Amino acid sequence: MADPALLATYLPVLILLLIAGGMAVWMIGFSLVLAPHRPDPAKTSAYECGFPAFEGTRGRFDVRFYLVTLLFILFDLEIAFLFPWAVALRDIGAFGFWSMAVFLAVLTIGFAYEWARGALEWE
Amino acid sequence: MTPADLAFFVLAAVLLASALGVVFTRNPVHAVLLLVLTFFNAAGVFILLGAEFLAMLLIIVYVGAVMVLFLFVVMMLRVDPAKMRAQGRAALPLGLLVAGVLMAEMAAVALSFAALPGAASPAFALPEGVTDARALGRVLYTDFVYPFQVAGLILLIAMVGAIALTQRARPDIKRQSVADQTARRPGDAMEIVKVTPRTGA
Repeated sequence: MADPALLATYLPVLILLLIAGGMAVWMIGFSLVLAPHRPDPAKTSAYECGFPAFEGTRGRFDVRFYLVTLLFILFDLEIAFLFPWAVALRDIGAFGFWSMAVFLAVLTIGFAYEWARGALEWE
Repeated sequence: MTPADLAFFVLAAVLLASALGVVFTRNPVHAVLLLVLTFFNAAGVFILLGAEFLAMLLIIVYVGAVMVLFLFVVMMLRVDPAKMRAQGRAALPLGLLVAGVLMAEMAAVALSFAALPGAASPAFALPEGVTDARALGRVLYTDFVYPFQVAGLILLIAMVGAIALTQRARPDIKRQSVADQTARRPGDAMEIVKVTPRTGA
């Protein structure tokens, strides 16, 4: 276990999580227990402006959503590498600075490729 | 039992329960959401161990990005639960084999780490007054510069690979070209005709 003084700083987060979780359980749990449940086909069917639903809701998503999230993850990871670098910049000197510069340059090549191929455009 | 111990047991219990839920739930979207809950509890355990930066990373990268990707993959595949169950039963022996190998590997790592001389010694603990992000940053960009650059190359390969696999040329779609629009002069599009009165154009 870590230093209790550090953990004490997370007490507000814990309280927030407890209240949020308790609220969710409260709202869903009580409506599950107390509210009347008399489902019939009309009530449980998907509502589509008064029409019967045309097709199932498990429609296939476009693969471009996947591309956008994947590119997002890659740049998210790039940012994740920047945090400890920024915090420790005074300790690691010029070598550490330039090692990050090379890392960023490599990813900038990828970014330029991405831009040139039009992967950022939503046609 | 200190409050930290109590928090650990609650977090660990919810973590294990939601991890089991990921495996046993029928609905793949529910499985993804339970995996999000698992990651949140793992982040809590990280914080209890003093690894604040790793906890935040788990939430930012895994919950914020990887789980969104998983959700899109699940929705892209058009999973039919009934069919999936039949396929799952057919793949059970292979799945058990892979799971067994993974378990053995993890057990080997855990045992060899525990057997490492000084694994539990204070040398593995953070120096006084240094956050884990700073301790990580001190070694990651200097002592471990090659793995760090390899990580950058892997990200580049993933980027190029994802684009090469999914990007299709769409010549049928009209695109806006701002450069062409601003380069267009009045003379390209219209002609001014001097009309003398009462003669017609």
